[in-house]
This record gives sequence, structure tokens and C-alpha cells, in this order.
Amino acid sequence: MLKMNNISRIYQSDTIQTHALRDFSLNVKAGEFVAVTGPSGSGKSTFLNVAGLLDNFDRGQYELDGVSVQGLKDDELSRLRNEKIGFIFQNYNLIPDYSIFDNVDMPLRYRGFSASERKRRVEDALDKVGLASRLKYLPSQLSGGQQQRVAIARALAGEPKILLADEPTGNLDSLMARQVMEILHDLNKGGATIIMVTHDPDQAREVNRNVQVIDGQLADFKIYAPLDRTSENKAKTISDTVSDTLTKEMADA
Amino acid sequence: MRSNNMVAYNFTLAMQSFKRAPTLYFLIMLTLSIGVGVLCANLALVNSMASDPIPEKSANLFHINMNTWPDDQPPDEPMHILRYRDAMAIAASDIPKRSAVFYASGVYARDIESTNMKRFDSDVRATTPGFFELTNAPFAYGSAFATSRGMEVVIGDELNQKIFAGKDSVGKTLELDGELLTIVGVLKPWVLRPLFYHVTEGRAFNLTDDIYAPLETAIDLGWSIHARNSSAVDYAGISETRGLDVYYLQAWIELEDVNQRTSMQSFLDNYTQGLKDAGEHPLTIKNEIHNVKEWLKVNKVVDQKVLAFTLASVLFLSVCIFNASSLLLSRFHAAKFEVGLRRAIGASNRHMLMQGLTESVLLGLFTGVVALVLSWLFLKLSVQFLPRLANVAVLEPKLLVLGMLLALVTSIASALYPLYRANRYTISAELK
Repeated sequence: MLKMNNISRIYQSDTIQTHALRDFSLNVKAGEFVAVTGPSGSGKSTFLNVAGLLDNFDRGQYELDGVSVQGLKDDELSRLRNEKIGFIFQNYNLIPDYSIFDNVDMPLRYRGFSASERKRRVEDALDKVGLASRLKYLPSQLSGGQQQRVAIARALAGEPKILLADEPTGNLDSLMARQVMEILHDLNKGGATIIMVTHDPDQAREVNRNVQVIDGQLADFKIYAPLDRTSENKAKTISDTVSDTLTKEMADA
Repeated sequence: MRSNNMVAYNFTLAMQSFKRAPTLYFLIMLTLSIGVGVLCANLALVNSMASDPIPEKSANLFHINMNTWPDDQPPDEPMHILRYRDAMAIAASDIPKRSAVFYASGVYARDIESTNMKRFDSDVRATTPGFFELTNAPFAYGSAFATSRGMEVVIGDELNQKIFAGKDSVGKTLELDGELLTIVGVLKPWVLRPLFYHVTEGRAFNLTDDIYAPLETAIDLGWSIHARNSSAVDYAGISETRGLDVYYLQAWIELEDVNQRTSMQSFLDNYTQGLKDAGEHPLTIKNEIHNVKEWLKVNKVVDQKVLAFTLASVLFLSVCIFNASSLLLSRFHAAKFEVGLRRAIGASNRHMLMQGLTESVLLGLFTGVVALVLSWLFLKLSVQFLPRLANVAVLEPKLLVLGMLLALVTSIASALYPLYRANRYTISAELK
């Protein structure tokens, strides 16, 4: 799904050259849920920006879903972002004066879908995150967790090949963070490929693969042992309280 | 279908953008409107001054200047006013298709049947009958008088409105300075801008005349000359002028073919050579003929000050565009996050450019409407200070279209640099 070979990204100012990524290589298979961890300034976000085609890279090869991205024009890169990638940002990045519907609808507008197709996709996506009844709400009328779920719906609406999440629970309290993580795990179980940058070791431990970035390079794999997320051990990862709350809210919505 | 959807979506986004920063967009619109409005007002003046008043035949109509002054100290050389016998010689020539010889006068007019004794101060054109066809004067009722003699007149629409409330007044009798003349024709509203047949003495933007009277009749009735005239002799009244060296008539001819201009020039030169041979032409022969456009240029109908002010208006508009551009730059900077977000979720630079241009076009349309209103106000204000501009300060339909186009172009021009800036960063930088 995602193949990076010897990617380098260098930021150049007047006097300083910063190697944000150096000979960075990573191969993510379809259906994987990969957590990217590392200290601040290690290059996690740069990796995610390059992976999401939000930033250029200076050297190396990058292939996304079989498409080599080097040398692609702006229109082609935009189409790749629109069709193959779903972004989930730490601070949600919702447009405050747009309704929930309009926020989720945004990427579909650039895809050229008909109004009825867009409506169907927006409603399906919001249904998946339990917010189907809040179509006309403004982001400010929702809690942080709900706003992040809207952002997830926006990422899902285009039915992308891969979800890129940049600290998706970084601005949420633990209860809301659990709700969001539960949705991401559900999506992964449904076949979605997810790459998530996180500072949270517990979240990193929950996914089936963990990579660490230090000084712009990949460090050890599987620093954290993945948690057993079988039904018998579910209590280890999600408390009954959290689970009940989420179920209840989903039902209310 | 997809492009239609995007156009509609971009219009929606533009309206949302205006709602988010109404004060800023109002300032941008006002800045551009003032610039476009001032330029448009000046262009309206230049347009009126520089336009061709009779485009269908302006190349075939010629004004005649001669230097038949009887001694060697003429007031001008050659002169645009002719003496009676020279003007009649031109009228008698078989080279022109038609000709008009006339002078400007003035009388007080009233309807003989009216019980009201009020008389209307009226401008008179004492002319040969060819004037009407030569100038394409539009008749509402009746027709031109057939000869230069006869107690008949044609009146203009404005006087007909004043005296006869715009009704068909053919056959009615007017009392003109105590003489009774019958109306044989009434003109439709007739605007000649500039008044090409009499642009001298600062009359280029006067209205067309109120009364058109046969030339010989006006001379016989002693209707005085209300325009420039020069005389080499003393005389008691205009009725004596036919045989004297009194210069007051203007002559226009219409040639079937512009190539006949040379023939007409030869005719004039031969005529004056005859005068010289008879010892009546002491000056070097110098006759000039000018077609309408040449004649307007010779008389500097387009005011150089207005041209200079128009140039200044263009510079002022440039300053307005820079100001609007800097305001838009701040707006686009504030919207950097949204630009980044839209690009992150799939909008290309082309999408963002189209979105920005749609906003500019919409802003340009609003600007155009306000600019035209301001332009109209500027023209009204100009007339208050300079009443002579009253007939020039007119916003013609083509000026309205030009104003809208100018507003669109300036609006787009002011958005180009901000749009370039908004799209030159990497998406990750815009999202920070």
C-alpha cells in the first residue's frame, strides 16, 4: 500500500540545513494499523506530511497504492490525495462556520460526485462515527471528541485506501480519546489501512505494528508489545465504562 | 455537469467569504469603485468629446475654409467664416452631392394662436435647405423647407415641446421677432455630440438649434449674427451683407466620393485664382477643406485638460488596485488555513485559483455597479462646477459596459498577487 525507500527531506533556511527525514524507508501493507512514535522533532510529522503528499521530499522513492508519486503534477497529486488518502488531524481542522454536513462534504466536492451521491456518502460516513443525526450542527456545538469523529467521517467519506492520523487524540480527554481510538480500530478491522502518529505508548501498544522515528530515521520496530485485543481481554484495553458510554452516545445520536 | 457544480460551489464559497469579512470586502469594493468610477467619469467626457457625431458619413462631409479677405491683414488665415458671395459660389458648385450654408442667429418665438404672450428665447440656424439632408436631421413631422426663401421654418423637438407640448405643429404659425412664419417640419429629439456643424466659438457641445429658417429669409428679415463674424467694411444690418466683404457664413459640403476632395480643392483654388486675377485676392491662395474628424481635431474639441485628468485617473486606479491587493493579501493570509485544508483534502492549485477568481469576478460585479453609480455622481458634480460640460457629461450604454468590464478587470488584477502568494506554500506549511 505504501512503500518509501530512502526518503530524505531537508529544510533549508539561510544558515541552517535541517534533515527532517534521512534515508527513511517504510513499507506498509494493506490492512495494517501502524503507529508511528518518537520524540518531538524526530520527524514523525514530516513523515506523515510526505506520506500524505502534503510536503515534498528531496530524495528517494515513494509509491502509494502502486503509484509512484515522483514527478507527478499538482493536479495528479491532488487527485491522489482526494481519492486514496484520508486525513485526520490533531486539531480536527473543521471549518467553524460550515455545518457538519458541509465539512464532511468538502472533499467530495472536488471529486465531482453528483449531489445525491455526495449526500449518500456524507450520511454513511457520519453514520459510521455515530453522528448521523447532527448533520446541521456547527462544529462549535459539538464536543472535542465529536468534532474529531466528524473529521474522521470527512476522511472516510471519499472511501480512501489509507487513513493518515496525526495525533488524533492529542487534544482529547481520555474518555473521548478512547471513543476515537475505538472507531479507528473498528475501521481497521473493516480493512482500512491506518498510519497514526502518536505520543501515547498505550495507543501505540494497541495497534498491530509500531515504528519509532528518531532523528529522521526509523529506529527499532515493535518497541511496545501489541496488546491482545481478543474479546476475552477486551477489558484490558477498553474499560466497561468507556465502552458503555460510547455505545450509549452512538445510540443517542 | 461537474464544472457547473464547481462554478456553483465556488459562487457559494465566495458569498461565504464575503460574509466572513464584510467590512474588509466593503473597503476593497469601495477602493476599486472610486478608482473605476473616477476613470469612467473621465472616459465618459473623453468619449463624448472624441466621438464621431455622424459616423455614417463623417468621411464625406467637409467644412470649407478660405482666405478671401480683401486686404493683406486678415483676422485669420484662412477663415472658417465666409462672405456671402464665396459661400454661394460653393453652394452653386456641381461637385458636391449637397451643401449647406448657414449662420447662427436668435429670435424670440411664440405661437400666434396662443393667448399667452410668453416668448421663448430660441437659437436659430439660418440655412440653405441642404442642411437637413447633409446633417441627417431626423424629422418627426413634416419636412424641410424647399428653398432658401419663404416664410417657413423647421423647429426642434425642445421648442415644439415648450410651445406645442410635443404635438404635430406642422402648419402652425410662429411669431418670430414680430414676423409670422409657418412651421413646415418638426424634428425628433436630436443629439449631435459634438455639434460638428458648429464647433467653433466653444459651441462644440451646445444643443442642436431650436429653429431652422431659410437663409435668404433670415437675411432679409435682418436676423442678427449670433456667432463670430468679421467685416472689412461698415454696414447697417445683415440684409446689406450680400454684396459686402462681411464674413459670417459657414459652408459644409457632402461629397458622393471622398476622392472628389481633390476636385473640390481645385474648384476652390480656381475660384480664388479668378478673384486674384480680378485683383480681389491680395493674399496667397490658401483654401482648406476638412472632413468631420479633421475639423473636430483642428478645433481641439477634445479638451486637453480632460485628457490629462483621464491619464491621472488611470494612475489613481493603479493605486486603488495596489491598495485593494494589499487588503486582499491580508484576507488571503487569514484564510491560509482553509486554503491548506482544501488542498490537503483534494483541491488542486487550479481549483483554488478558480475559487479565488470566482470571488474576484463576483466582487468585480458588485464593484461595477457601485462604480457606475459613483461615476454618475462624479459627472453630476462636474457639471455643478463646470456647467459647460452639461451636454458632455453623459454615461452612454457603451460606457456602462466599459465600466463593468473595468471593474471586473481591476478586481481580478488586484487578486492575482494574493492568489499567487496563497498557492506558493507547501500544504503542510499552510496547515500549521
